[in-house]
Amino acid sequence: MSDVRNNRREAGGSSVITANRLLDGRIVWQVAEGDWSTIIADARIIPNADIEAAIAQAAARQQADGLVGIYGVQVETDATPPVPVTVRERIRAFGPSVHPDFTPVAELEAHA
Amino acid sequence: MPDTIQAPALPVGHYGYDQVDRAFLADRVEQFRDQVARRIAGTLSEDEFKPLRLMNGLYLQLHAYMLRIAIPYGVLDSRQMRELAHIARTYDRDYGHFTTRQNLQFNWIRLEDTPDILARLADVDMHAIQTSGNCIRNVTCDQFAGAAQDELVDPRVHAEILRQWSTLHPEFTFLPRKFKIAISGSPNDRVAARFHDIGLVAKPAPDGGTMFDVFVGGGMGRTPIVGVHLRDDLPEEDLLAYLEAMVRVYNEYGRRDNIYKARIKILVQALGTEGYRAKVDAEFAAMNRARYRLPPETVAAIRARFGTPDLHAPDDAAEQLARARRADPAFDRWVRTNTHPHRAPGHISAVISLKPAGGIPGDATSAQMDIIADLADRHAFGEIRVTHMQNLVLGHVRQDELHALWQALRAADLASANIGLIGDIIACPGLDYCSLANARSIPIAQKLSARFASPELQETIGPIEIKISGCINACGHHHAGHIGILGVDKKGEEFFQLTLGGSPGSDASVGQILGPALPEDATVDAIARLVDAYLVHRTGGERFLDTYRRLGAALFKDAVYATA
Repeated sequence: MSDVRNNRREAGGSSVITANRLLDGRIVWQVAEGDWSTIIADARIIPNADIEAAIAQAAARQQADGLVGIYGVQVETDATPPVPVTVRERIRAFGPSVHPDFTPVAELEAHA
Repeated sequence: MPDTIQAPALPVGHYGYDQVDRAFLADRVEQFRDQVARRIAGTLSEDEFKPLRLMNGLYLQLHAYMLRIAIPYGVLDSRQMRELAHIARTYDRDYGHFTTRQNLQFNWIRLEDTPDILARLADVDMHAIQTSGNCIRNVTCDQFAGAAQDELVDPRVHAEILRQWSTLHPEFTFLPRKFKIAISGSPNDRVAARFHDIGLVAKPAPDGGTMFDVFVGGGMGRTPIVGVHLRDDLPEEDLLAYLEAMVRVYNEYGRRDNIYKARIKILVQALGTEGYRAKVDAEFAAMNRARYRLPPETVAAIRARFGTPDLHAPDDAAEQLARARRADPAFDRWVRTNTHPHRAPGHISAVISLKPAGGIPGDATSAQMDIIADLADRHAFGEIRVTHMQNLVLGHVRQDELHALWQALRAADLASANIGLIGDIIACPGLDYCSLANARSIPIAQKLSARFASPELQETIGPIEIKISGCINACGHHHAGHIGILGVDKKGEEFFQLTLGGSPGSDASVGQILGPALPEDATVDAIARLVDAYLVHRTGGERFLDTYRRLGAALFKDAVYATA
């Protein structure tokens, strides 16, 4: 995506790769090539030096993986599980702050 | 069709579809079903599909697809409201969000469900056309149209005519930018006519017909401008021709090189009022006027597709209401704040607040939607209006039935007595939902409405409009707020900029920035101090806006930044 807010990366930092699922629009995080999760804790963390290449690789198979809008999200270096550095991406990762019952984890548990 | 089968009664308050309308919508749904199938199969790329889904109201937002459903001129009937409740329950997360353009949004829609949802909407004469894209959007209207005591002309028939004129208008499907029209028939502007691309105010003509005041080039966004008064004498028969000329001039001369300078307000400012008027007049003079003439017979034919409420009330309806008010102080307060005078004896318009203390402005659960539909059937001819303030209105309620209505609303947590008060906050979806937003709007609204929850305190503070936008696109109308709050992004964190002195009404003005943006956790306290300063300095019956205009920003700036 061309949104400038998605391209704020610091040298030496790390990022995760995210997208929306084509069929339902839900946010997913790349676990491995071809493998995506709604839970950011599952995401693989990639050094910012390698992130553009990883995004390009993921974007090349986005139709096959049923995804739209693939981009990278910088995360706090020390946080486990990964936490995005911007409030926008934290809301994407953990759900709307006004509906605590709509977090991706709660949704996963509800359907377990 | 056998003669014995009766056509359904025409809906009160909005145009009743005929078979041509329904066939068009059915075709449109199947067209989109095919487009969705091709997208899922991969024969349409996202870039190819995006404009097609947007033409059907389907956005990809922060967490999921969002479907924005059109509610033309903000009026729907109980059957339609029940269908929206069903969609909320079946396809979404059991609630819907009423917007500042009098539409409804669902925030958790699946792409693959969308054709079925649109088919269900078409079954009740609804759609999602004109809710996105660079076309003429859903025309908005006075929420008390056809009911208000101060109204001169009921503008809904003309709103419907504008809807039919603008829907899929081949010349105006790819304008430089989106285009918003509002229409009122009251001298008291309740539609923010001066903040629209075109604002129309209908009024009686000297010959007994209808004519219009025309405002143009108003808008919010990153360049807030109060529209200019283009003319005060547009005859009804020239309504479509003149608007056609206005939009043609915009289509030809509006900028397409810069999205931030593409709205008609920029063109009007660039040409000047006289320059723009001259081009419109030239276009108008060159048009085939007979082709675009709106004859009285056409207006009458459209009017005939509207149901008419039977406004008869018992002779003592007003006395019954007065007795109920004397007996029940809480009801009395709600009547003071949440009703509007009706033109017909024994009737009144009731506003259903969708702003409970600590709640999300404009949200209604499917259960609440069903209850409102039932109450509309029982008390208001099945008619429901959506306001640009994100509330609902039952327009024609008998005064002797108002207490029963209020009791039912109270049981459904729909009787907050705060219309026009500090709890009646406009808030866009903000960063909790919107992919354009820089900051969250809803939590600020929730904290403010919780802080000022007391109905007594709200009445003491008096009329005040707080409006919150999560980005400069200003969907939360912050520029027109007595107190406006704009969310901004500073290195990935939320800050909030305050503006004071905006007004959407007949005294329209753009709010002025008070000072540096505040961190999220300081914003609500700062507004509380600002309100305290107003209470100390107001005189007589001044509204907040009056005090601000009399005294200026300095004392409010001191209050906000003294301890911030």
